[in-house]
Amino acid sequence: MGVKKRSPTILLQRLEAYGIRWKKGKMMLGDLRTKRRIRQFFLPSLTFRFLIRVILVAVSAFLFFSYVFLPLRIKGNSMEPTYRNGGINFCWRLHYLISKPKRYDVVVVRFAGSKVMLLKRVVALEGEQVEFRDGKLLVDGKAIDEPYVRYPCNWNLSPRQVERDCVYIVGDNRSMPIENHYFGQASMKRIMGVPLW
Amino acid sequence: MVKTKTILIAVLVLLMVVVGILATLFFPSEEKKVKKQFALLSEWVSKDPGESTLTMARKIKSIGTLFAESCDLIDPVHSLSGTYTREEISSLALRSRAQFFDLSLKFYDLNISFPEKGVAKVNLTGKLKGKSTLGEYVDETRELDCLLKKIEKKWRFSQFEVIEVLKK
Repeated sequence: MGVKKRSPTILLQRLEAYGIRWKKGKMMLGDLRTKRRIRQFFLPSLTFRFLIRVILVAVSAFLFFSYVFLPLRIKGNSMEPTYRNGGINFCWRLHYLISKPKRYDVVVVRFAGSKVMLLKRVVALEGEQVEFRDGKLLVDGKAIDEPYVRYPCNWNLSPRQVERDCVYIVGDNRSMPIENHYFGQASMKRIMGVPLW
Repeated sequence: MVKTKTILIAVLVLLMVVVGILATLFFPSEEKKVKKQFALLSEWVSKDPGESTLTMARKIKSIGTLFAESCDLIDPVHSLSGTYTREEISSLALRSRAQFFDLSLKFYDLNISFPEKGVAKVNLTGKLKGKSTLGEYVDETRELDCLLKKIEKKWRFSQFEVIEVLKK
């Protein structure tokens, strides 16, 4: 799919249609009506309608960014190299509205609320048996391919079954000793959503 | 006439705002009082790198006042579970703080409810961050269920339960 190139003449003609012209390299704002419209756009007068519009936009933005699209700041290195410390992201909360988490999904898991949350990867689903043997992840006794794990890992964890309505989540960075990494099975109720990217 | 009416409404609104602010400042709700206890606990447990002995002694002495005569700690993972007296909590805090060069305890997402009179139940996220004297970095986040009881007109911690969010 190519990008359609527009000639500068067409652009100038369009701008002229809005009353904007160029004269000796300077932008002329055309007639009084256009000037007034531009000024109104950038410096709107505080009318009742304008205030209502501002309040509606503010309330919508607040609700959207508080309940649907939560802004996140990644702290820590448990998901490196997929997600770096200090990165910015959003938690899309409607992702699991009609579907359930799948293996390899990166999920956002809550504690008591949404101010501090965990970012981990789903490696096993309910009923499956999880095990770590010499750093290799085994689900139901079979080794799972994990291309996102880039750092060396030597974890060993005896087999355990994932309980009902739970998923087993682990970070991508397994270079630290197993006792220093916070992972395990989390209830589905705690899954808030997925990171946007 | 219209002008006088407008001024009167404006004055009334202003008066209501002032009364509201004063009421919040001088008569805080029970919820605010509970939140304040957590803020104090956070302040007194936290440690700055250059903390003086005097500040440390004051903080340790103050920590005990936040707790009831005995406080239960329920932790399914670690071996810290048990009932502790105020004095034991102060000495535990002293020993724990001594192991850190700097320490910060913060509480987030406080969900406060009052199941019965004189009892407050708080579900929250606690974050402990610091650097030990051995140079190790500690960054632990846990969900907690806390129980506070109103004793002598003050909210005091009587139970801490660590909730297992991820079960290994």
